Amino acid sequence: MLKIVTRAGHTARISNIAAHLLRTSPSLLTRTTTTTRFLPFSTSSFLNHGHLKKPKPGEELKITFILKDGSQKTYEVCEGETILDIAQGHNLDMEGACGGSCACSTCHVIVDPDYYDALPEPEDDENDMLDLAYGLTETSRLGCQIKMSKDIDGIRVALPQMTRNVNNNDFS
Amino acid sequence: MSFVQIRHISSQINRKTVSIVGSGPSGFYTAYHLLKKSPIPLNVTIWEKLPVPFGLSRYGVAPDHPEVKNCEETFTTCAEEFSSPTNQKHKFSFVGGITIGKEILLKELLDNQDAVILSYGCTGDRKLNIPGELGTKGVFSSREFVNWYNGHPDFAKDKRFTDFDWSKVSKVGIIGNGNVALDITRVLISNQIDEIWENTDISSLALNLLRRAPVKDVKLIARRDFVHSKFTNKELRELWELEKYGIRGRIDPKFFQKEMFDPSKYDRAFNRRVEMCSEYLKPFNERSKKNYKKAPPPSSGYDKFWELDYLKTPLKINKDDFGAINSLSLCNNQLNEDNSLQPLKDVNNIMTYKVDLLITSLGYAGVPMPEFSKLSIGFDKDHIANKQGRVLTSSGEIFPHLYASGWIRKGSQGVIASTMQDAFEVGDRVIQDLVVSGALSLENSIDLSNIKHTTWKDWERINKNELLRGKKEHKTRSKFLTFEELWNGVEGI
Repeated sequence: MLKIVTRAGHTARISNIAAHLLRTSPSLLTRTTTTTRFLPFSTSSFLNHGHLKKPKPGEELKITFILKDGSQKTYEVCEGETILDIAQGHNLDMEGACGGSCACSTCHVIVDPDYYDALPEPEDDENDMLDLAYGLTETSRLGCQIKMSKDIDGIRVALPQMTRNVNNNDFS
Repeated sequence: MSFVQIRHISSQINRKTVSIVGSGPSGFYTAYHLLKKSPIPLNVTIWEKLPVPFGLSRYGVAPDHPEVKNCEETFTTCAEEFSSPTNQKHKFSFVGGITIGKEILLKELLDNQDAVILSYGCTGDRKLNIPGELGTKGVFSSREFVNWYNGHPDFAKDKRFTDFDWSKVSKVGIIGNGNVALDITRVLISNQIDEIWENTDISSLALNLLRRAPVKDVKLIARRDFVHSKFTNKELRELWELEKYGIRGRIDPKFFQKEMFDPSKYDRAFNRRVEMCSEYLKPFNERSKKNYKKAPPPSSGYDKFWELDYLKTPLKINKDDFGAINSLSLCNNQLNEDNSLQPLKDVNNIMTYKVDLLITSLGYAGVPMPEFSKLSIGFDKDHIANKQGRVLTSSGEIFPHLYASGWIRKGSQGVIASTMQDAFEVGDRVIQDLVVSGALSLENSIDLSNIKHTTWKDWERINKNELLRGKKEHKTRSKFLTFEELWNGVEGI
């Protein structure tokens, strides 16, 4: 069960959606949904900006994303890839405005509590950015700071409904 | 110099036309979103008044925060992809060096394009409106100061900066409590620490002058209290971490003690800020957590200080016989329970700070375009009147095909990521409207053949030349500092 950290009382609803998704769909690990993009003229390499390596047979690690529309996608990836790399390599809606250098919060993800404690603790600079993330939860992390490893094989992360960075002043 | 005509010859594909005014993060993220998400083919043009793109990313972000400028890579990929003739669906053009409202009227864009998005940011300064603010040497607004050290062609060689005697600047006052105020504090208090600045893209001209200043004391002066400071924890932490260079932060105990702030009443970010300040205010060896003991101060101790100063109203800027600032008169404020602020102007509450340089960092102000009143486009105080990005007329109706995104839509608040989200939301509305609207015409075009401007290719050359110059000077980039240099930069160095 996720506890929601309410920031100025405005974020709980959005966090709840992601928390709900993580809670209600534990058995859907293997289900993958495909979304179609409407691109009638040409496919564009611009949309495909990740550079993911293909894992060697037997060394695949699994990660499942719960997307904003509630659908799930599971990928087999290499050790060492960051969640931001993986999301971008598969054209998921995750921006990395600062290029994955822990200087913004556009790659905010909500980690399944079952996996959260297996992650190394966030550093100050990551926490400073999480302070500004929209829909912050107690298991929020930045996708650019989580590297795939055997410890978190099978990890499940939800994309928050919005990634807007807010601070208290936005509400005053 | 190249003068490329961008008359768009219609091909087999009937693209709807979109013009975006401004190429900073809001304009470029709006373009990016349209090109990424629109199901119908678009011809997107970004108009920029400078010959070069990226607005506040290039001229606002602090030089020692290169990672924040990484959004430019996304913009570049986007521009390259959609400028290429092989991309059959959408088309993208950048037009630099043209001011909408001057060389080309906003009316002309509105008449010619299926949608126009205003993303030109906040181009003015909020003022203190006190005696001495204008015309005193050594008094600058944060926008002027930041543009100057970032090499903006309007300010890089401005005599107000280059003729100022920096060698006399020891005490600095900064009015304001946002991240820009902290950026400026960092630049000034660490001005002589070459390892921070010499490899960045800071204007060399500015850095050489700044280095001359024997800055010892920087006061950040706020009208309200610690709770109301607007900066973010990352920027504040950077200031505390300068202690390894002998630079110490201070807050008077009457404005800050850990016990003043009940953690249950505040959010996570604020509670983290309280912990950060209370830990860093302790002597190095008395701190409880290792993350506040990363690098000790030098054995010689602290010799430079920055200070968060609260509950003051600036009253008057005082100058010497040569017209240069020498002090600032202020009074104490009382913060009432209903959050209202009361300046106390009796003699016991008035004081004078000796300062050699004063930067007013009160936020950037949105300014209406000259045609707004004629076209009846609404403007609310510091931003364009709009409903979810759709611009409103002065009588509150939706102005057809006209949108606003970024700071000029909402006022100058938020980091690049919040601007990005705003641009995406406005972009979605533009797409929504374009999908259902009839196209204006097949041959929408604005003839630029007789107007000097830059294209994306021109910017690529300028960029290459700036990077090349940078390499020679051991900097990430050496910007061209005047309009002439920028225009010539298209050709070579």
